[in-house]
Order: sequence, then C-alpha cells, then structure tokens
Amino acid sequence: MKGSNRSVEGRPLDDTALVERARNGDVNAYEALVQQYQELAFRVAFQVTGNAADAEDAAQEAFVNAYYALGRFRAGAPFRPWLLRIVANEARNRRTSAHRRTALMERALAAQSSGEAAPSPEVAAEADEFRATLIAALRRLRDDDRLVLAYRLFFDLSEAEMATALNCPRGTVKSRLSRALARLRSILPDEIRVPLSEGQRDG
Amino acid sequence: MADRARITDLELEGALRALGPRYPYPSTPNLAVRVRTRLAAPPVRPLPRRAPWGDPRRLALVAALLLLLIGTAALAIPGTRDAIAHFFHVQGVIVNRVPSPAPSLTPPTSLNLGRLTTITEAQAAVRFTIAVPAKLGPPDAVYVASGPPGGEVALAYTPRPGIPLVRQTGLGVLITEFRGDLIPGFISKEVGPGATAEEVSVNGDPGWWIAGEPHTILIRVSPDSSQLETLRLAANTLVWARGGVTYRIESDLSKADAMRIASSLP
Repeated sequence: MKGSNRSVEGRPLDDTALVERARNGDVNAYEALVQQYQELAFRVAFQVTGNAADAEDAAQEAFVNAYYALGRFRAGAPFRPWLLRIVANEARNRRTSAHRRTALMERALAAQSSGEAAPSPEVAAEADEFRATLIAALRRLRDDDRLVLAYRLFFDLSEAEMATALNCPRGTVKSRLSRALARLRSILPDEIRVPLSEGQRDG
Repeated sequence: MADRARITDLELEGALRALGPRYPYPSTPNLAVRVRTRLAAPPVRPLPRRAPWGDPRRLALVAALLLLLIGTAALAIPGTRDAIAHFFHVQGVIVNRVPSPAPSLTPPTSLNLGRLTTITEAQAAVRFTIAVPAKLGPPDAVYVASGPPGGEVALAYTPRPGIPLVRQTGLGVLITEFRGDLIPGFISKEVGPGATAEEVSVNGDPGWWIAGEPHTILIRVSPDSSQLETLRLAANTLVWARGGVTYRIESDLSKADAMRIASSLP
C-alpha cells in the first residue's frame, strides 16, 4: 500500500504526541493525523461502501466525529484502530442506503460474477481474471467478513488493533478471520485455482 | 495444472495478501483540508492525566459526580445557567440559549411531518435505515418528508397508559430521524431560561436532553438558505446522533424513560 502505514517503529509515539496536541485544540496537529490516515480511512470505507462518493463522505465524517470524540479517547491508546472503528461505522451507515439504491445493479453485477471495481472484461490474463473473481467474491461477503479480511490481509492490522477496530474481544479475532475465509471460499467458484504468478508458494 | 486440488485456506490467504497492494481503489480525496475547515471548536476537554487515585474508573466516577454537583449548583443560580451553554449542537441540530422565555405560539394546525405512509414505503424514500425503538414497537403513524437531503421520517405514537399526551403535538411520543450529517443546521432550537439542557450519552453516542418549559423549534427552509422558519414549541426532547443519522424523541416523559426508548433503538 502506498503511503505505508506499516512502519511500527516511531509511529505510535508520533500519533500519541499529535493526538495529545489535538485534544488540546491544536487543529494543525489533527490535520497532520488526517493527512497520515486519510488514505487508509478512505480505503477501509471503500471496502464497506463499494463506491467512492459514500466512502469519501464516510471518511470525512469519521475524521470530524473522531476529533470531537478525542476527549473520550484513552490517552496513549493507539489512534489508528480507534479511528477505523469510527470510519467503519460511518461507512456502514451509508452502505445501507447505498445498498438499497444500487441493489438491482449489484445483483446484476454479482450475476455476471463481476464487481464494481473489477477490471474490464477484455483483460484476459489469468492473474487478472483471478483477481477480478476474488474482488467480486469479496464484494458479496457481509461487511463484517470483508472488513476482517481487509484489516488483516490488506491493511496488516495486528490482532490487538483488529479487536479495537472491530469492537470485539481479542480472543475472537482469529476465529472471525477463519470464518470469513471459509465464507469467501464458499462463494468462490469450485474450479478456481491460484494462478502460478499469484499468492505465496510456500507449500 | 488443471488437476490441482481445490484452493486451500492458506493459498487463499496468500492470494488476498497479494491482492492488497493491487486492489483497484479510487484515488484518495484530500480530506485533510475539508476536515480542517469543519473543525470549529476544540474537542471536549479530557480528564486530567494524572490521577490522584490508582483506579481510573473510580476517578471517572468521582469526576462525573463532581460535574453533576457543579452542574446542578450552577443551574440553580439563574445568572450562571445561561452562561454555561449559549450554543451547542448535535449533528444537524443547533441549540441556542436565549434570555427570554419562548413566545406563546398558537397551537399548530399541522405538525408538518410530511406525507403519511408506511415504514416500508418510508424506508424506500430515505437514505438511512429507519430505526424503530423496540421499547415502543411499531408506530401508530409514519410520515416521510423528502425536503431535507437524505429524507426525514417521523414515527408517531398516540398517548397510552404510561405515555402522556403532549399538548404541543397532540401525540404521546414523536420520533424524528434524518441525516444530520448532510444538513448541519437543519433544525434550530431556542431554549429559554425556563428550560434545561443537559449533555447525555445514548449508548455511547453524544446527545442532549432538553426539558422543562417548551422550547421553540426553527427549521431551515431549504438546505441552501439561511432563512429559518419558526415551526412550533416543543416538549421535552432527547436529541442525539449516531453515525450520520440524527434522532429526536419528543414527549412529556421523564429523562429516564426517554433514554430507555432511545437505548432500545436497533
């Protein structure tokens, strides 16, 4: 992912300092936090809403709401998963309406085993087709399942971060993850195989 | 290769990991600037960092009690009450403290709730999930209005044992729901010296409880207009925001009863 949020070293301290300043009304500090996390927030929201306009709306609202909720934020706690929880809630709120609006369209897309974000059909390479199938299957998952998979496998959240972001006990993260994987597998066509160019070949 | 076994969980995990960096996201909008322009007031000040007691829960309890005491004391002194909160807001609702009591408006002939409909039809017309409180069950009447962006729905409950008649509405309980995030100043409320406004939390979501003397509700004529139209007087009101939706419960019920209804929203 671009703008790598993965570097664990240094980041928590920076966040903590910025959060502390923002809590005291320093808008510049908060703007720096928004800069740092806007891509992640937008992408997480997009995973839920499936469309850019609602994802943008949800991420923006989440940042504003998070700012006003900073007073309730436990000092020193990691900011990222706390923010994502707010983002996901905002996104879910919009997804319900967006879903209704586009229910017909989505059903049509699902029927042709294609997703909104899937590449054009003329892209025929095996790997591309495989990815398109995966994305389409992901989009048919329940929001919670898709989020679990995305947090872990796309955005590299730790188990502790996932527990905060999903608002669930840490002990249930693993089982949620494996249930989500199982559901994804059940949606994928039986004959799907990982192309040789994809995945980790460590077996 | 055609005979390879069905995809394993491990392979699927690996494939998803590989997909992550290639996922076709739309480009990220620049939210930082837009968010910044929306941050008017500093966040609610946190509790002091150094606790004189070991147990933070105990400290929080003591702090809450102190705040309650201070709040009650301040409200008891007429001069300071208005100084506490001249202005506050819940997403979509602006509440102004005004020095004079609410004017005596003639009882409304219509509540302007919109079109009488059913839950199913209302749901199709609004851009949020309509929440019906489990505590009250299905409403006696449902209204939908398409004026505000995202729509607005009103759930009306007639008076019944335990739910007194509200003179201002002719109803027992009136619940309105709308996308407060889409229209920041949709509703304004003017709260006079005879009414109290208290910050509350509904299942962790921020809100206000306005009670006592009826307060004036003003409604914005259109999303782009700053013109406000005086609507009517309102009874005890609990207003709070969850996600992008703002909820409002108007009744003559006690705060505890209103909170119970609010908490029973799915």
